[in-house]
Amino acid sequence: MAYKATKNPTTDLRERLFIPELLRGLAITTRHFLRNLFNPVDRNTQVVDRKGLNLVSTVSYPEEKTPYPPGYRGLHRLVPRDDGKPRCVACYMCATICPAQCIFIEAGEYETVDPASESRVIEKFPTQFVIDELRCIVCGLCVDACPKDAIRMDTGLHTPSEYNRAGFVWDIPKLLQGPPVSHPSDPWNKRLSSAPPQHQHSEAHTRIGEGLVQLKLPGGEPHKRTEVTDQAIPVTRFLKE
Amino acid sequence: MKAFTVLVAMGFIVGVIFFLSALAYLVGGWLGSWAWISNLLILVLGFVMIIATFLTLAERKWSAMIQDRIGPNRATIDVPGLRGRPLGGVFHVATDAIKMIFKEDFRPKIADPLLFGLGPILAFAPVLALFAVVPVGPVVPVKFDLGFLHADSRVGLQVANPNFGMLWVFAIASLAVYGTALAGWASNNKFALLGGVRASSQMISYEVALGLGLIGVMMAFSSVQIPSLIAGQTAMLWGSDGELGILGRVGIPAWGFFLQPVGFIVFFAAAFAETKRAPFDVPEGESEIIGYFVEYSGMKFGLFMISEFAEVVILAAITTALFLGGWNIGFGFDSTLTRSLSQANLGWLLGAIYATIFWVKVLILCYIQLAIRWTFPRFRYDQIQSLGWKILLPLALANIFITGALILIDPSLRSLAVVGFLEIGFILALTLKRAEPAGGHDTDDAHLAADAHGHAPAPLPGAAAASHH
Repeated sequence: MAYKATKNPTTDLRERLFIPELLRGLAITTRHFLRNLFNPVDRNTQVVDRKGLNLVSTVSYPEEKTPYPPGYRGLHRLVPRDDGKPRCVACYMCATICPAQCIFIEAGEYETVDPASESRVIEKFPTQFVIDELRCIVCGLCVDACPKDAIRMDTGLHTPSEYNRAGFVWDIPKLLQGPPVSHPSDPWNKRLSSAPPQHQHSEAHTRIGEGLVQLKLPGGEPHKRTEVTDQAIPVTRFLKE
Repeated sequence: MKAFTVLVAMGFIVGVIFFLSALAYLVGGWLGSWAWISNLLILVLGFVMIIATFLTLAERKWSAMIQDRIGPNRATIDVPGLRGRPLGGVFHVATDAIKMIFKEDFRPKIADPLLFGLGPILAFAPVLALFAVVPVGPVVPVKFDLGFLHADSRVGLQVANPNFGMLWVFAIASLAVYGTALAGWASNNKFALLGGVRASSQMISYEVALGLGLIGVMMAFSSVQIPSLIAGQTAMLWGSDGELGILGRVGIPAWGFFLQPVGFIVFFAAAFAETKRAPFDVPEGESEIIGYFVEYSGMKFGLFMISEFAEVVILAAITTALFLGGWNIGFGFDSTLTRSLSQANLGWLLGAIYATIFWVKVLILCYIQLAIRWTFPRFRYDQIQSLGWKILLPLALANIFITGALILIDPSLRSLAVVGFLEIGFILALTLKRAEPAGGHDTDDAHLAADAHGHAPAPLPGAAAASHH
């Protein structure tokens, strides 16, 4: 037997008469109307926390913005050091792991003439660091892959709109933004040169603040480039005695 | 604070209505026997068109409030004092008008040029013509003498008061179908044609119920002229013998709504279908066929839209005049107000106050129509036809016989009113009654409960209908 939509067995007299249900429906809509007409809109951007009799749940976007949750992956930035240069050491980890292949890095090598230059502890730096924000899938793998905490997605921004595709290709001047970051374990804080450290690590993760290692400032010893030798480096040297 | 602002805005609207009504009376008094010109301009082109225009905004703003949204608030005017203040979105009315006027007026190459242009005109003109016989304010003596300007005549806010009265409404209302049918046919578009055919069948179906729904009121007051019908509703069914101070004579007025609740429902539903608005918006059917005006753009489409809203205003005005006592307050104040202002020789003030009351009633009915439109989903097409022919038509016929019998038995209309109150009370009792727990019926909840107790899963809906009935 075909199902008759008009013969719904659950309707009672009130629903069949239609007018009472119409009045009840009108009461609901009018209640909403009057509550929203006479009461001011709560502008709390967390809609579930809104108080008051007004039932409006709109967030007027350009004027009001819902804060992003912690850990939100926004637009990339290249993290600067205290001296304003990027922390990036052009290791290609991010470009390698990027599933969208949107990162392009061109590495440069520090000159070794100046003993005080960074080359005493770092060999490479990016001469080009380009992210195609249209290709980026915002997965955050580059942030995880970076060994130097040099790329982050903590800006909380969307990629701003542009008039042409070239505008979405962000290079170092645009990417290098935000507060500088410095770690005690950063080589330019910790080591005198890029040569393997001469001292014995007493612990794997010694920090400056613990007083076991003195912060060594640039200058002093003449710089030496890392020398590649045939000698095997004893692994035990790095282990705790 | 916001409540205060809203009340001030409402007061401002009422003030504007009062000002325009007083203006209509004074200018009408000055024009004397040519008062119909000022009535035509101020009532039809002023009130009806302005309210209809603002209803286009109200439709969006009120629906937003009903649905817990904010609604239009982007359009602002860049002048000092108004900069960045949307004022509830009133400027969207202007932006709409500007957009409609400056949009391309597109006509399909294969459309019939004459009929295509005639469509919106024939849809719009009858709607405005309908308002000619609707009286907004009572006939009062207007006397003033400013030297160069003087008046001494009796003025009523009505464009024309022919002796065929309501018959004009029926005749002209049925003309509006030509506009939609022509628009649908002349567009040379299958969807538009479908919309036009749907509009024709719907409007013709409800034409019958529309007329029969009003027969009861006409019988009760023995007239088809709307001023006589309003005058009949001024009388009290049960009232105090004398006047109670400033309240005047208090009591229950012989409003058409109390005498003819069934007639009211039939007329309101039928007239709602005539306006082609949801839940009767099958001719438009945005989600499927777009409607008879699918090929229209610019101000031609605007005419269709504004005629729809003008129909809302006019339906509200006719309902007010026939069922809600017109300009009367009804329950009190009327007698003292009339006497004191007549003695003070301020006929125009009395008329303006009454006209304001009329328009406030109209605005409330406009709100109810818009709220119904935003409460109800659309009827299916066969439901529309069966509602018109199988429910409203028999209901109206039964109402006519019962009304006639009651008027014959008791010409004072009191027994008619008792029956009317019983009908209203029945509807109200059903409305306030809590939903019955589904006794013999198997509702979805019952199925769910059975499942929760580990019984057999619910049968298919068809099987349920078969097994329980």
